[in-house]
Amino acid sequence: MIKKLFYFVLMLVLLAGCSTAKTQGTDGKVVLKLLMEQVPDSDIVKKMTKDFNKENPNIKIDIEMLSYDQIRDKLVSSFLAPKSSYDIIVVDNPWMYDFASAGYLEPLDKRIKNAKNYDFEDFSAPLRKIATVKGKVYGIPFYNYATGVIYRKDEFEQNNIAVPKTLDELQAAAKKLTKDNHYGIASQPQKGYKILEEWSNWLFAAGGEIQDNQGNIKLDSPEAREALSKYIETYKSSAPPNSSNWAFDEAMRSVSSGQSAMTLNYNWMLPTLNNKTGPAGDLAGKFDLAEVPGGKAALGAWYWSIPAKTTHKDEVWKFINWITSSKQEVNRVILGGAPVRNSAMDNPKVWEKGYGESYYKTLKNILEDAEPLAEGPNAEETIQVIGTELNAAVNGQKSVDQAIKDAAAKAKETLKK
Amino acid sequence: MRAYQKETNLHKTIRILFLFIVLIFILTPFLWVILSSFKTPAELSQPTSIVFSPVPDNWINVLTGNIPINFVNSLIVGFITVAVSLLVGLPAAYSISQFKTGGNTARFTILISEIVPSAVLVVPIFLVSYFFQINGTLIPVTIAHLTFVLPIVTWFLIGFFDSVPKSLEEQALIDGCGRFEAFRKIVLPQVLPGIGAASIFGFVLSWNDLFYALILGGEDTQTLPVAISSFDTFRGVQLGEMSVAILVSAIPTIILSFFIQKRLIKGMGGGAVKE
Amino acid sequence: MIKKNDLGRRRSFFLFSYKWRMVMPLLILMFVILAYPLAYSLWISFKNFSIVNPNQDHFVFLDQYKKIFVDSLYWTVFRNTIIFVIVAVSFELFFGMLIALSLKRQIRMTDVTRSIILAPMFITPIAVGLMFKFLLSQQLGFIPALLQSLGISINFFGTHTALITLAFIDVWQWTPFMVLMLLAGLESLPEEPFEAAYVDGASKWKTFWNITLPLMQPIIIVAVLIRALDGLKVFEYVYAITRGGPGNATETLQYHIYKLGFGYYRLSEASAVAWTVVIIIMIVIIAMLRGQMKGEKAR
Repeated sequence: MIKKLFYFVLMLVLLAGCSTAKTQGTDGKVVLKLLMEQVPDSDIVKKMTKDFNKENPNIKIDIEMLSYDQIRDKLVSSFLAPKSSYDIIVVDNPWMYDFASAGYLEPLDKRIKNAKNYDFEDFSAPLRKIATVKGKVYGIPFYNYATGVIYRKDEFEQNNIAVPKTLDELQAAAKKLTKDNHYGIASQPQKGYKILEEWSNWLFAAGGEIQDNQGNIKLDSPEAREALSKYIETYKSSAPPNSSNWAFDEAMRSVSSGQSAMTLNYNWMLPTLNNKTGPAGDLAGKFDLAEVPGGKAALGAWYWSIPAKTTHKDEVWKFINWITSSKQEVNRVILGGAPVRNSAMDNPKVWEKGYGESYYKTLKNILEDAEPLAEGPNAEETIQVIGTELNAAVNGQKSVDQAIKDAAAKAKETLKK
Repeated sequence: MRAYQKETNLHKTIRILFLFIVLIFILTPFLWVILSSFKTPAELSQPTSIVFSPVPDNWINVLTGNIPINFVNSLIVGFITVAVSLLVGLPAAYSISQFKTGGNTARFTILISEIVPSAVLVVPIFLVSYFFQINGTLIPVTIAHLTFVLPIVTWFLIGFFDSVPKSLEEQALIDGCGRFEAFRKIVLPQVLPGIGAASIFGFVLSWNDLFYALILGGEDTQTLPVAISSFDTFRGVQLGEMSVAILVSAIPTIILSFFIQKRLIKGMGGGAVKE
Repeated sequence: MIKKNDLGRRRSFFLFSYKWRMVMPLLILMFVILAYPLAYSLWISFKNFSIVNPNQDHFVFLDQYKKIFVDSLYWTVFRNTIIFVIVAVSFELFFGMLIALSLKRQIRMTDVTRSIILAPMFITPIAVGLMFKFLLSQQLGFIPALLQSLGISINFFGTHTALITLAFIDVWQWTPFMVLMLLAGLESLPEEPFEAAYVDGASKWKTFWNITLPLMQPIIIVAVLIRALDGLKVFEYVYAITRGGPGNATETLQYHIYKLGFGYYRLSEASAVAWTVVIIIMIVIIAMLRGQMKGEKAR
């Protein structure tokens, strides 16, 4: 029996070994390994690589798609290895500063300057700002996830409510739309990134800020206390009950099933909701997007970056240059990608084949005045720390005053680490 | 049935009622997953709807996608992990049990490696696998699974060997067998049900692991748990397809357990009780 | 003729005796797969290495440990994990025993009931976590909707309930393991003491308390030990459902270490936290081992 077992193991090991060795192209082609998140925007890029291959038959694009935590974990562990496992990576905005300043990313300024017909200024300004670390550019914008108000047009009309322009109007609208088992706003107070992302819109609207231009934490302010009190008030009066661990998915389901009338959420949720075969079913077409109250939105974005330890940097840049060019941006957005270039959002062809003029115009306005949650060293941790305190306040573990005080103190401590 | 085992009708009713409630508790989530697997995205947001027109889309999407590959990956990793565990665990467990090799300390130190948090082991394993150019394959995943499957399997096997009377081996030796031969031909068959039980338990542990497979595996080498977790995306949870994947991962092991549960229970009882 | 004493001691031309040669493959394999990772993590826990600060890589000896022990979050996390393990394992033992006793007496349809009852442990924990996340979600889930129709409203993931909810998800998934172990134990119990007790006219409860439990003690210890060690490593439920919230109410050790190492890139601190866990558990196990040995001597 032992002998049989042994042969069995040997066979399986060989089997596993066979499926491994295939990193180098045999036919003289350069194989570029891309690490991307498993999201529709990446599927669109995958579709477009066929066109890239027509123009560049010598470069083969090999895309590996994984989930969010998986790509972060893989990036973090592959940075420790002597040679990068990937030639192109995508970087989320809170990671940008840490990855760039640790020397894991290749600066792109020279390549941007030398590229022909490459209008870098065309990318929405706040997006460019995130990619610039200590005066150098380390990433090219891939797609945005800025927040806006997603709301039910029909319900707003029926109740004679205008799109809220201030926090007070937002609170009043949410309250008015709440009746029986129907709720005004689907909140997302999940600990960490999620609650800070939603609440920062409230903070900006109240006139507060997380960091000033020098990156100092400015959270301990009366504005922050006002914003948090109002946020909790509205969560308690107008959000579905017991939703204190909700994140994007739950909020989206709540809105798409008609349970809630409004949510502060990613702008590209609108096309999904208005899709007849999508999650909203019969409600599709009744949703609209507006700027957040106060006009300053929480900004998130993904970037294309080149790991410093990869070879084939020229081929990699060729691909990034191609996929982010004004021409391909239009194609990408028409296929359903979230835009990052102003020219694409102004393009009538995009309006017509995409999701309509008003969506792209609103989106352009949102992007013009949008700010990431945290910048500088340890941004990811800063976000988590603040988000934990906010969530504690929503759950009644801490008073608003205490939570803001602790959040500011811990964020300051984190920046110094 | 012996006299002491008799139970009154009242007892019997309570017992059956209790088991019935337990079954409902266990089955409800499964039924919900089965229902979800046939729903459209719009219906999934109405979880209480029980009457709906089922659609096979989720099943088609999943079964024509990567899940079958993930399934095979999980199977390979599980089999190798268990096979290697048995290969090295059996003789060791036998020796520790019969000759008291290493004494009580050996038994307990075997369990120590069980408590090392995987978040710590994973980085060095990753670096080593990179060094040997096997990162992203199933090999580092299997090695990582061995770190927790091997100790637990060996631990169980020690218990099973404890229940084998020592005279058996001696008898075999008198009959002219070599010592290893005696172990292989006479002692091993005695603990076969136990080996089966330990293998299944080890296999389930490997089959269920997310953490190591998440970081050490590559795209082609994703195991089922990794694939299931990746239905939880930045753009929402693909609940319908995830339900199918859950069923795909659970059904084979449940069917397996239907056929083996008797042996499993017998096997577990073989040694662990007399530990 | 071979004497009894010769077994396992007879020296041959091999370097080691037979009994050690049998253990060798295990020792070598354990050494190969565990020694380097363990040594690496111990070594790095004495440094201040962070992935995003590759230049800051000094030897700081016990500084990481000192930092951890004054960190209030660490103790919160520690407490959460212990509460989780105690709640989960004690309910698993309680329900496991009830179910095992009921199953033992069952005559009809044993195969079907037993395999259904064992089923939850065959589902990968991440799937169980995601499944319950939706099942228990207010408004979106089936269970709150059911409870609501009965007029009950529970926030399963509130400040005081979230950790207990996670523990009960663990109970759902791992009580089957207890059932498996305990049923195996029950089925291999000798019959004589029970018949004797019956003849003596002992009540069922007394029989259970005075005969079944003492006979079952070893298997109960093993089952509880295995479940407790596994429970200390709980990760998937937290990862899938609460991410440690509300506040830090469900942040457990394994998730905390993962967050420190991969979320905040501080490998040294993560390793140090992990080693504190290893050391504490080793102390507990050694204490148990000593207690057991003393007990055996007393017998």
